[in-house]
Amino acid sequence: MKFKAFLTENGVMLLERRFLPALDKLGKTCHLLLTKERVIFLHNLLNGDGIQCIAQFQKEVLFDDYRISSQNEDCIAFAVDLSLLQRAVRSSVSICSEFGAGGSPSNRLQIKLVKKLPPKCTQPMPYLTFETKGYKAAVIQDVPISKPLPRAQVLELRAALELAQELPPTLVQVPDLNQIQNYVDRMRHLGEMLNVSISKYGDLHLQISTALVSLGAEFRKLLVIGEKAQAPPEDENLSAETRHQRAIMRQDGQSVHVSVKHFAKSLQCNLTKPDCAFYGIAPEGASLTVIFQFFVPGTHQTDKSIGLHCRLPVLDPGTN
Amino acid sequence: MSSSAVEPEAADLVCQLENVQGMVDSLSAVRWKRHQDAVVELSEHGIVLILEESNCLQAKVYLRKELFAQYDYNAEERPRFGVSLGLFVDCLSTFTVPGRATAIEIRYPGPDMQLLLKSLDSSDACIYAEIRTIIPDTVSWDYNFEPAGSVPLSFTVKSAALKEAIDDLEWPGSSIRINLKPAPPSVSFRGEGHGDLQIDLMYNANSDLLLDFNCNRPVSHRYKYKFLRATTSNLPSSVMKENRGSKLTIGRGGMLKVQHLVPVGRAPFPNPHVIDSASHQQQPGRIAYIEFFVKPEEEEDDARND
Repeated sequence: MKFKAFLTENGVMLLERRFLPALDKLGKTCHLLLTKERVIFLHNLLNGDGIQCIAQFQKEVLFDDYRISSQNEDCIAFAVDLSLLQRAVRSSVSICSEFGAGGSPSNRLQIKLVKKLPPKCTQPMPYLTFETKGYKAAVIQDVPISKPLPRAQVLELRAALELAQELPPTLVQVPDLNQIQNYVDRMRHLGEMLNVSISKYGDLHLQISTALVSLGAEFRKLLVIGEKAQAPPEDENLSAETRHQRAIMRQDGQSVHVSVKHFAKSLQCNLTKPDCAFYGIAPEGASLTVIFQFFVPGTHQTDKSIGLHCRLPVLDPGTN
Repeated sequence: MSSSAVEPEAADLVCQLENVQGMVDSLSAVRWKRHQDAVVELSEHGIVLILEESNCLQAKVYLRKELFAQYDYNAEERPRFGVSLGLFVDCLSTFTVPGRATAIEIRYPGPDMQLLLKSLDSSDACIYAEIRTIIPDTVSWDYNFEPAGSVPLSFTVKSAALKEAIDDLEWPGSSIRINLKPAPPSVSFRGEGHGDLQIDLMYNANSDLLLDFNCNRPVSHRYKYKFLRATTSNLPSSVMKENRGSKLTIGRGGMLKVQHLVPVGRAPFPNPHVIDSASHQQQPGRIAYIEFFVKPEEEEDDARND
């Protein structure tokens, strides 16, 4: 089992400034799955009932001279502490920056998988090692990782990943995530459960209801991807709640309850600076999916080499 | 787009405010603890919110109708209802957007006697809230503030300085004595508890700390620190920034009245979704008035003050 690669300048920027801070907010540890083609950060795919988050990159986005080999179809997966990973990348960046922007290629940041004997131990432990050579210093940082997952678990992880890639039939585009984030930040302490309704007319409705207050936000006429329908004109002057109830009755809409905490957490993905986001509900209301979209810089074309999406588990409103 | 289908004529009050932040600021100013029930009174003149604690402290927030871009009052008898202040402020806060004015509509009552709020900024994005109201307490809220004599005993101090002085008095704690002296004209706050701390504010023409001072005889009363602190504990940053001045008046029996002025800014640009009435255009001062009434502690020798 071998893995060795050099982080590109763009890769360092993406990880250090955007993705690692966001992923760290979603959960302290995650699985890192390395394949021949892709590098994937996965939260809660194998265990737990928390929010699932998948950030995937084509290997060229982050690395060059990418070498991987394992007996498991050249796939390696392990668990890693994101704050340690972030610290290692950050301090490596500061060493590299001693050279300024035009550092020579030999001074790049190398990452490799190693086994080392930690002090006072008899068993060697796996590490992700960061090697940086600066002008005055060379720094080696060892980020402890879990033992690489056995074949069965890697297969399970890949199967879960496949399953999690399924798109909801209707997705609505939220152009301004800051607006939703600002709103959810303020409403989050008013209740624990959030009702999310999405209709084929391009409406997104968020509502918190408790015995004392009902607080909601409705975003209308959003861009719809997938199954869409024309909004009936007679619904125009109804209340947001009634409008969504009617859409659900006509099977033009779906609604799920999710934890306000999970919803707020998923919005931390805004730290990755996506260009827009899509919300959708999986068939049978199995989960709420949020897909973050990134454009190729300077264009409005989707950058297919970066993917980020979350799946929020749904709650049963009867249990609360 | 409204959260509940209520006919406009059914509502006692429908009003629109250009910038919800001013209302959040004014109501936050009287939020001295986590759980507080407020009584809201609606009238043709505006909205008054009243809070009370331990029969010793009362606060009132006056939102005059001129502060609103639209104010349609249709009730015959003044409606009164109770509401959780924390919930009301938290709901109003969800409408605020940093660096931008948000216009809202307030409507009472909803189909189930709720207080209804909704944003007016865009027809394609709407935020709404329905807050459950409660039947207000029947306790008399009137603190009967009356002047202590022919000359009012009052002083006006920069709001930030007042807050700082009261915050500093936390150390001695328990009771704070306020002394007003005509010669030399000065105000002192004295705390005696774990230790002694006295803060003197001298009035003279050059000082802009005390902006105004009226006193024709020495007067001295003690107030519980926690009630005094409530009068400045949550002053909004807009009050501190404008730092106009808070007026303190001592009335009959030593009742202390503290008045703050909270700016209720309007939108930098007229909001196309808000109907702007003529009276609103002419209104220069956009201020919400906040009043606190603090009852003094009983003195062993009451005669020396009255």
